[in-house]
Amino acid sequence: MLNYLIRRILSAVVTIFVTTIAVAMLIHLVPGDPVQIMYAQSQGTTPEHLEQVRQSLGLDRPLVEQYVMYMQRVLQGDLGHTIRGEQPVLDLLLLRLPNTLLLTGTALLIAVSIGLTFGFIAAYKRGSWVDTSLMTTAILGVSMPHFWLGLILLFFFAVKLQWLPVAGNNLENLILPAITLGVTNAAIIARLTRSSMIDVFDQDFVRTARAKGLTRAAVLYKHALRAGLVPIVTMIGLQFTYMMGGAIVVENVFGWNGVGRMAIQAIFQRDYPLIQGFILMFALVVVTVSIILDIVYVWLDPRIRYD
Amino acid sequence: MTDTNVQATSVVADPEIRPVINGGQRSGRGRTIRFMQAVFGNRGAAIGFILVLTLVLVAIFASWIAPFDSDQMGAGKRLSPPDASHWFGTDEFGRDMFSRVVFGARLTIQVGVIAVSISLTIGMLLGLIGGYAGGWLEKILMRSVDVLFSFTETLIALAAVAVLGPSLTNAMIAVGIAAIPFYARVAYSVTLVERNRPYFEAAVAAGAGHMRLLFRHLLPNIIPPLIVVATLGVSAAVLAAAGLSFLGLGAQPPSPEWGAMLSSGRDYFNRAPWIMLYPGLAIMITVLAFNLLGDGIREALDPRQRNT
Repeated sequence: MLNYLIRRILSAVVTIFVTTIAVAMLIHLVPGDPVQIMYAQSQGTTPEHLEQVRQSLGLDRPLVEQYVMYMQRVLQGDLGHTIRGEQPVLDLLLLRLPNTLLLTGTALLIAVSIGLTFGFIAAYKRGSWVDTSLMTTAILGVSMPHFWLGLILLFFFAVKLQWLPVAGNNLENLILPAITLGVTNAAIIARLTRSSMIDVFDQDFVRTARAKGLTRAAVLYKHALRAGLVPIVTMIGLQFTYMMGGAIVVENVFGWNGVGRMAIQAIFQRDYPLIQGFILMFALVVVTVSIILDIVYVWLDPRIRYD
Repeated sequence: MTDTNVQATSVVADPEIRPVINGGQRSGRGRTIRFMQAVFGNRGAAIGFILVLTLVLVAIFASWIAPFDSDQMGAGKRLSPPDASHWFGTDEFGRDMFSRVVFGARLTIQVGVIAVSISLTIGMLLGLIGGYAGGWLEKILMRSVDVLFSFTETLIALAAVAVLGPSLTNAMIAVGIAAIPFYARVAYSVTLVERNRPYFEAAVAAGAGHMRLLFRHLLPNIIPPLIVVATLGVSAAVLAAAGLSFLGLGAQPPSPEWGAMLSSGRDYFNRAPWIMLYPGLAIMITVLAFNLLGDGIREALDPRQRNT
């Protein structure tokens, strides 16, 4: 098991390493002069100032040297400064990251509880009208764009019924975005749970458990559910990553003050240091979460533990 | 991307299922016919197919179907609700919403086809070369693909738009780039299966060169399963591109792209909810159509799922 985890951590390190190369070189992929593009929207910038920025970003040096410089700064916790406002990128990201994690975490909780329950019921009632209606709802949910569901919820609950505020950053404001993000992803989890549980119900060990006279509840919870959960946990790991991506859109619908909303503004303003910082931070979060889920996976599946 | 694609990877990699995907290649036409029957025998897939066909027809005949030009301002009163002359109402400039939604179908088909073509072509080549080459080239290629795969497509698409700048063309390219790792993985797993088949070993033994092995022997055999996966990929591409346009990073006003229409109409939606209703519904029906069709194809290919 230790070997497995060490292997996973090593592969995470490689992932982060490759990401840093991609992020450091991102600015060179910009067609034209990135410094001029960055400052195109600013007034009163002189050629001297642009040259100064070019030097401070190290763009006048060889690529390898630029990467080494970039890594030296990153390892010291310096992700550079924003083009507009000259604020430290790391501080800005850390200020908003908790909001994004809160939104994604709450949405994941909603998605997992609805998705597992509905998927399990659908598998258990396989072929019945309950199964059909749950799975029809699920495919509608998978096909629904986040931003559209968000607008509809805003329209009904904030504008028409006025139960919830339209925008803001209190816990009240978390409800609609978390539901928006959670519900569409619940549909994906429900579909996977259904097919995974149906696979498990057909397995010999479940049949044996039934044959030896265990109660229906014992068969379901002690035998089937745990085995069925293994692929689902892997899927939930992927879901978290997708939801982090989805959060970028949902934050913009609801004006939720997370890193996703800031990233979109940064793209509009062509604020490359901020965009680079965002991508790097996103990668770190994704990799950390996937390692945590691997540990859960090992705990759930003894086959890996004893390997 | 959704679970659809994750499952699709395993389906096309399964050696027992592969001959079915290749249709008649190995055992006559019967299999192709059985496959088509399985797809159209599935109610969902049939509905999906009809919806996709309708969408394509609407896109082709948009100029005949739409009563107004998509950009014609003052086609009706501003923000007027749906009625007999403006079935979907009008927007903040008095443009006919029905005509805009109809013309939007063209852009959506265009986005789906172009984005998927980009990811399919590049992904296929990467996976093919990785699977064929083996050794360090395989390791570097597939490891890079894995790294990219671990960052949602949204992030890759955003990074691409950040580099290229906002526009519909760039959004299509960005969405196309974002899905490359997925297609590369599928192509890689199919190539690994193919290169262990007797026909390939025979070609190697006969002294065929790298190019011949890659493009005359492997490529034709990995294309069919990838085309199947691409059908599933269209829905993800449409959804992602609409999302970018909604964020203002894709199609720009006055383009009748559905995501952009939702974005520009959001300031008016409490007074004129139809502005957000129809473009959103159009996106959802399109994505649903490709999902249903894709699910149907997958079930037809995987007897295990069909039995459940």
